[in-house]
Amino acid sequence: MSGLSGMTFALLCAWGALTGMDLVTFPQALLSRPLIACAGAGVILGDVATGLRVGVLLELFALDVLPVGASRYPDYGPGAVAAVVLASGGPWVEHLGIAALFALGLAVVGGWSLLWIRRVNGRMIQQAAAGLAAGDPGTIARVQHRGLAGDLIRSLGLTAIALLLAQALHPVLPGGPRFALVTAAAVGAGVAAAAGGAIRAAGRGARLRWLVVGTGIGLIAAVLT
Amino acid sequence: MTSGFLRALWRLCSVQGAWNYERMTGVGMGHAAEPLLEDLKSADPARHAEASVRSAEYFNSHPYLAGLALGALVRAEYDLIPGAQISRLRAALTSPLGALGDRLFWAGVVPTAIGLAIMGVVAGYGLWTIAVVLLLYNGLRIATGVWALRTGLASGARVGAAIGESWLPGAANQAGVVAGLFVGLALPLAADWLLDPQGLAAVGVAVVTLLAGLGAAWRLGPRITAVKFGLIAIGLALILAWGLP
Repeated sequence: MSGLSGMTFALLCAWGALTGMDLVTFPQALLSRPLIACAGAGVILGDVATGLRVGVLLELFALDVLPVGASRYPDYGPGAVAAVVLASGGPWVEHLGIAALFALGLAVVGGWSLLWIRRVNGRMIQQAAAGLAAGDPGTIARVQHRGLAGDLIRSLGLTAIALLLAQALHPVLPGGPRFALVTAAAVGAGVAAAAGGAIRAAGRGARLRWLVVGTGIGLIAAVLT
Repeated sequence: MTSGFLRALWRLCSVQGAWNYERMTGVGMGHAAEPLLEDLKSADPARHAEASVRSAEYFNSHPYLAGLALGALVRAEYDLIPGAQISRLRAALTSPLGALGDRLFWAGVVPTAIGLAIMGVVAGYGLWTIAVVLLLYNGLRIATGVWALRTGLASGARVGAAIGESWLPGAANQAGVVAGLFVGLALPLAADWLLDPQGLAAVGVAVVTLLAGLGAAWRLGPRITAVKFGLIAIGLALILAWGLP
């Protein structure tokens, strides 16, 4: 889908910005998860099926990540939204793997941009040191609102760049049955990422036992259906 | 619920709005505390000024449980507990609230919700699944936020005991077990759904990549992240596919 209308581009930018903000600042309501971000992008594009395929694949990678405090983690939302644009309007079996590669690269860039915004906030705190030391509610509110505005700009910028890249790449996407193997490799890598993360998080206790039970039932269900 | 309580609750939704390495969520906590400290402004202006300074100092916890600390610290200000003691309480709450929230939500409820969402999508319920999961997750998140702020305001400096006697530690212990089950269920179903229309060659490529990924994780540990492995594996597959006749 290379030719997005102005309205669709604007809606995708707004949605991508919200998913980017959701990761850390506001509202932390699960919107930043790739499955939710991609489903929303699919609705906006009128291609829900592609949105869900891209979302499920990217979610396998994101299941490995715990967005804990000061640690560095990828920001999937904006790139996931743009990845749906890249994968839609063509044979998803051939484009899904390439879309995942695109989204993972942007997730890394998103992670770097989070570090940048934290440093920007730090500089803002230093500039407002006198007001904060005096406990001035006006200063506290100003710093808080500027922090939120900074993350909005970060997320919006990241989404806009990602969408422009996706639009530019879409017409030159390689096609053909052999690119289905790229999708297959992406699925294998995603399952490895999710399984590795799940095993690591499970340790050796009850969680590991239930993980094994769940995987066994899931395998049986996958074979039978 | 008073207007101050509701405003504080709303502001807690963006408690990490100005997250930084110096004060972490401190400024967000100060911003959320302001509506709750308004009554202190008229009753004891000097104490209010001190409380405002303390409210924006360094703090970090899981964002959904920050209300426990916020309520407790505000209540302690109204109880006229010495400032140094309030600062110690603030510092003491940081690690437990972070650890409990991470275990309950990030490592428990979120993977469970995503596992459920994947299963629903794979089963063909599409957007309905997404809507139901979002409603359930955010319902739980809001209920937890209301409970946290209320409990903090009710218990003040005794918030540690209130947390210990509450549902929170038990739920944090159990959430991971449930997450293990649902993530385990979702993984094979997701892989099957994504590979379904493809042939045996694709399944073979996926299995080889899966084994390589698990091997890399076992050999390299945290040095190879999911994203890094994904970029390498998919990038190599793309180069190879390009080279195929």
